[in-house]
Amino acid sequence: MNKRSVPVRLEKVTKIFKDQKTKADVIAVNEADFELAPGELVTLLGPSGCGKTTTLRMIGGFELPTRGRIMIGGEDVTFLPPNGRATATVFQSYGLFPHLSVFDNVAYGLRIRKVAREDLRRRVEEALALVGLADLAQRAPSRLSGGQQQRVALARSLVVEPEVLLLDEPLSNLDALLREQMRVEIRRIQKALGITAVYVTHDRVEAMSLSDRVIVMKDGVVRQIGTPNAIYEDPNSKFVAGFVGKVAFFPVSIEGEEGGAMLCGIAGKRVRARKWAAGLRAGDRAVLMARPESLRLGEAGAGIADGTVSANVYLGSSVESFVKTEYGELLVQIDDPAEKRVWPEGARVSVSLNEALVRVLPEGDD
Amino acid sequence: MFTKKKIIAFIAACAVFLALDVWMFGAMTTSFAKAVGEGQVQLAAAIARSAPAESEAVDAWLASASESYPGIGLLYSRGIPDLDDVVDASANDEGLFDLYRAQSNSPAFAKGIEAASYLETQAIAGSYRLGERRVSLLFAPVPSKEGDSAIGFVLVALDDARVRAFAGLANALATIAFLVFALGFGIATFSRDPLTGYAILALFAVAAVFVAYPLFEALKLTFLKNGRFSFAVWCEVLGNRQYLQALWGSVKLGCLTATLSTALGFLFAFSVARTTIRGKKLLTALATMPVISPPFSLTLSIILLFGNNGLVTRRLLGLEGFSIYGLGGLALVQTISMFPIAFLTLSGVLQAIDSTLEEASLDLNASRWATFRRVTLPLAAPGILSSWLLVFTNSLADFANPLLLAGSYRVLSVESYIEVTGMNRLSNGAALSILLLLPTLTAFFAQRSWVAKKSFVVVTGKPSGRLSDLASPGLRRGLAAAVYLVSAFIVALYGTIVAGCFVKNWGIDYSFTLANIGEALTRGKDALLSTLLLAGIATPIAGILSMVAAVLVVRKRFPGKRLLEALVMTPFAIPGTLIGISYVLAFNKQPILLVGTAAILVINYVVRELPVGLEGGVATLRQIDPAIEEAAADLGADQATIFRTVVLPLIRPAFISSMSYTFVRSMTAVSAIIFLISARWYHITIQIYNFSENIRFGLASVLSTALIIIVLAVFGLMRLLVRQSENLEKTVSVQ
Repeated sequence: MNKRSVPVRLEKVTKIFKDQKTKADVIAVNEADFELAPGELVTLLGPSGCGKTTTLRMIGGFELPTRGRIMIGGEDVTFLPPNGRATATVFQSYGLFPHLSVFDNVAYGLRIRKVAREDLRRRVEEALALVGLADLAQRAPSRLSGGQQQRVALARSLVVEPEVLLLDEPLSNLDALLREQMRVEIRRIQKALGITAVYVTHDRVEAMSLSDRVIVMKDGVVRQIGTPNAIYEDPNSKFVAGFVGKVAFFPVSIEGEEGGAMLCGIAGKRVRARKWAAGLRAGDRAVLMARPESLRLGEAGAGIADGTVSANVYLGSSVESFVKTEYGELLVQIDDPAEKRVWPEGARVSVSLNEALVRVLPEGDD
Repeated sequence: MFTKKKIIAFIAACAVFLALDVWMFGAMTTSFAKAVGEGQVQLAAAIARSAPAESEAVDAWLASASESYPGIGLLYSRGIPDLDDVVDASANDEGLFDLYRAQSNSPAFAKGIEAASYLETQAIAGSYRLGERRVSLLFAPVPSKEGDSAIGFVLVALDDARVRAFAGLANALATIAFLVFALGFGIATFSRDPLTGYAILALFAVAAVFVAYPLFEALKLTFLKNGRFSFAVWCEVLGNRQYLQALWGSVKLGCLTATLSTALGFLFAFSVARTTIRGKKLLTALATMPVISPPFSLTLSIILLFGNNGLVTRRLLGLEGFSIYGLGGLALVQTISMFPIAFLTLSGVLQAIDSTLEEASLDLNASRWATFRRVTLPLAAPGILSSWLLVFTNSLADFANPLLLAGSYRVLSVESYIEVTGMNRLSNGAALSILLLLPTLTAFFAQRSWVAKKSFVVVTGKPSGRLSDLASPGLRRGLAAAVYLVSAFIVALYGTIVAGCFVKNWGIDYSFTLANIGEALTRGKDALLSTLLLAGIATPIAGILSMVAAVLVVRKRFPGKRLLEALVMTPFAIPGTLIGISYVLAFNKQPILLVGTAAILVINYVVRELPVGLEGGVATLRQIDPAIEEAAADLGADQATIFRTVVLPLIRPAFISSMSYTFVRSMTAVSAIIFLISARWYHITIQIYNFSENIRFGLASVLSTALIIIVLAVFGLMRLLVRQSENLEKTVSVQ
């Protein structure tokens, strides 16, 4: 269905809004600068108000950047209106035409392009089949479920063979089960068509499971760009570490690099972390981040921090143990609980680290 | 967007256009001046030829020439200075004489005199100030009997106001042409969305030319006396007892009507929303009927029933000397025609009050009366005040009812009409209608800003949908009796109009006849047809324009949006008489001469009904998810296609009701229209007024009935069309 895959590039794109009440300038997006490879699905991830939707709307042509350029397929589209660029958007609220049937909704873009009747019918039916709605072509959108409306919106965007697909929190109005199904569906179709796609979400699980790469944003600034794996395991800041997954932070002092490890002092003990952010020097204060799966429990006194198990949550394939320590309540994930020891609630334990997995980050950056 | 290349291209195009513009209009002005100049030369030569050779005849000639050519300054010099021995100058204008004395040795004058000595008539360059006028001067020779030499010359001073007026007009047009070009071309060059730009520009133009300009002209006129700035008009108006009486009369009537209407409206609204009386649907229909009934119809009916020869007052009660004309009658007829406004406002308010609140109060052992006084009434209070203010502004602006029924009672709207049409004192009329703005705008803005914000009706949770019965059985019977009685009265009023169609001579001879119908339709045919035609033309224009304006207001961001919205809404807040007078002032002269044409009526309908359509469109559009339009743009539709294929279908209910209101209100317009009609383009309501004034009540009844039927038919049609799209509306607002 798709003609070709194109790259998308944002060059120092900045968007400044005027606050309606205070008349003050608000920087919604600050010098966003990144490139999407052809056929890549990239997620813009961040808390609400971080500028991710504004970024998407600028790519779609609904907002005009205050500064910077937007290139699609090597062509400068910065000032082109939405109807002048080869993007198609799936809106959070779907934006289906309530006065048109499902068929006519999907056919809308083709009619604008003056596609001949037979061709139009064939392509609409193909698109509806692709999203599994071939039977409901004559329904009114208001008589569809949320998930079905979502699929119509997707089919409507795909049928015009856009070069770039933009998805603005498309699953946020669906219930959890449906969300998981649609996530897989969207990824399958996007891969099958080889279409370049930008996906906006505030749900980290969605971002991790869908994307080729994730762009984490906060307060209008791009904080990190990387594969889901890199974002999760090697975040470059406390904010990214905390936003993409559960994490524990330990304040440490840097003692220096030695033999491929960063030596950190924590409460009189020493940790040899194998991963660290650039620019750390001996004597700096820093934080050590550890994911629940890189923490282990042992007899009191053995690890870096002692504490009491306050609760155990059984999740089948794993157990989450909550341990009260001087660093706050830590979450320790115990995989294969049948094989390993699970400490009862109230037991005195010690938390130790898997030095290969933990990472040292500069302090205070959140 | 703004790239260097585009800016250079834009400036270049503007420069080329400006050059062409200046050249064209310059050429026009010059050739006009030349044509006028040639005429002036011939005129001057002709005048000079008639000058006498004898000195005794000069005074007589000057006197007779002044009479035949009024406004022209003449100076006759018998003998030519420096050539003849005897030089004897006399003039019909002392200023000219002094000017000649002072300037006679100047090069320009010397040249003119020299030319005259060679028997040539010459205008001298430039214009000169003569008293308060600016004139051009011409030297024309007075030939000798033989015709071979000049025995003297005549200096002719001609007013050049015409040339200057033409030059002024040409300059104004040239400026406007350039501005339109620059703005239009600028939008085409720089805007991402030129169509929206053009729409904004067009709407601004409409608002500026047909709202701001006439009002400005009206305001200007009240500050002018003999072409100079002056407070004389206002001093006269504010110092005149009769005018102040009219202002007080308007306010008094407004207060009375507002109070009575709100009370009656509350009675109806309460009975429908908070009691279990029967026939609620019928009551609602009857109580809303007067709001759409044509002007004059209820007044007519009141006169037929209670007038000097009224059916009730004279025939049934045999009263002598009873007069319905005046404050009492006016308050009665205004209350009947305006209480529907209060009813609609208040029933909305009462329905929005969750009856759970009243049930909670009853449950806490408060009595019905205590519940009403301490829960219902406080919650409804902002609504009550709001409806009072609404009726008050309506009463002040009302023109049709007092026109027929005021008698010797003075109200401002009629007073300003009489000033303009009866006394031909336009400035006083304008001042009076501006004076009427004072209480009107105060009430309007109070209602808009303060009361609207103070609304206590906050929906918390789901309203129960049930109604609490707050009336005891006895009270319910009392309420029912009252509302049924009023309803019966309304029915009787409409019945009287219909009956009036078939009565030979109301008040004197009540025998049955069909003659009225034939005569009324013959004599009213032209007015009826032209009204239908013009209202029909105005309807789609106002409909489309108001929907476009609504899209701009709700969906677009552009500088001056608030100003544009305010300008478009203005005709809603100001009385029709002021609009009518200002249109007469603004469009009875160049550059926009429209008085007497059909266009001015159509424009007036459109401009006056735009606000209602705009409000409806805005309210509907706010309910619609902007993502729907964005999706259309995203799929490749341009702004015009989006408007046609998405916006218009979605706001169809607002579009239809905007159009039907425009049609009905245009058909039933009076206050502004009465200043703008002409013999060719008459209006049905004015025809009804004329019939009533001439005591041809039968004919007036027939036309009123016809108008009522048309109005009901249009609203019926609208209901039908809106109901069709109601399912659609539901899905839209759910989104």
